[in-house]
Amino acid sequence: MRWLVVLWLSLWLAPSQADLPPLTHNLTAIAEASPAPELRLLSMDDEMIDIDSLKGKVVVVNFWATWCPPCIREMPSLEALHQETKARGVVVLAVNIGEDIDTIFPFLGSVEPSPSFPILLDSDSSSLSRWKVRGLPTTFVVAPDGSLAYQAVGGREFSHPDLIEQLLHLMD
Amino acid sequence: MKQFPLRIGVLLICMLLLNAGAAAQKRTVNPATGAVSWETSVDGVALLLTQILPDQVRAFYLNRGLPAEATEVYATACVYMTVLRNDSAPGVVHFRQADWSVVSGGASRPPLSLEAWFERFEVYELSKSATIAFRWAQFPAEHDYQPGGDWNQGMLTTGLPAGAEFDLVVRWDVAGRSYEGVLKNVQCAN
Repeated sequence: MRWLVVLWLSLWLAPSQADLPPLTHNLTAIAEASPAPELRLLSMDDEMIDIDSLKGKVVVVNFWATWCPPCIREMPSLEALHQETKARGVVVLAVNIGEDIDTIFPFLGSVEPSPSFPILLDSDSSSLSRWKVRGLPTTFVVAPDGSLAYQAVGGREFSHPDLIEQLLHLMD
Repeated sequence: MKQFPLRIGVLLICMLLLNAGAAAQKRTVNPATGAVSWETSVDGVALLLTQILPDQVRAFYLNRGLPAEATEVYATACVYMTVLRNDSAPGVVHFRQADWSVVSGGASRPPLSLEAWFERFEVYELSKSATIAFRWAQFPAEHDYQPGGDWNQGMLTTGLPAGAEFDLVVRWDVAGRSYEGVLKNVQCAN
């Protein structure tokens, strides 16, 4: 029941969809390429995931929470991106901030399509300071060489063809 | 007589110049929730405020584990869901909430800061998860938004009592040049 309350509150607290700005598909190139910060967390499937072990792939790292309305809006497009690109070297990781599995799991079931990419658990939010996140959601794209390539502050439409093309170009 | 159209023309140009920096403000009421929103767009930056009524705030934070006493203090501080977005500013928008002003009854002060809230909450025992939810549900204290769609949505508190009316002056800079947008006559309902 708790996730239903969370979902209801998130929608209630948000202005109507018509009032909110549409999600764009722009990513900002990070001018001075630097190595991605450390990210080593347990997933909801109890698997330890270390971003260092994903060199050679394009990694999309999304920081989110179930109570964050823009995070909810963009989540289906992250799943669409995952489905479209998982066979072409793109990995999507969603780092949940400060919530437990009992809250996250039922929430994911309410998202259509339901996310099938790894959800990592950052129970003390320490990854946010390492990644210099100042608001949720924030998303980074890590290039195959392990450097930060792009950043997006706020919700995005990740399944837009132009954005997918931009990510796949990093594999060239 | 010939000077008359010229004077009118000069007057019209002056009026246009004076209005160049002004922006239209829109007030809407969500028919489903009754929530009132105020919005404007200035020099490519969009600003939207929607009041979150005290009962809605209570429900949100009690569900996140914030102590009832702390929730009550926050819920009655005139809370707004705030959206700021760089649609088409001429560069990176940098802002600090400390530079913004809530103007009401002849007084002006910044919105209440996260630090101020955590100081008030020192007397309550906040769990780790409640602290994290509270911290990250607030509108960022400072940020840089790239043009083309960077934005945030989060809670902002004025600290004014219910029934108060205020202007919110939001200030930012782009490449060292200062800008500001104003939402006028925003109301804080009970």
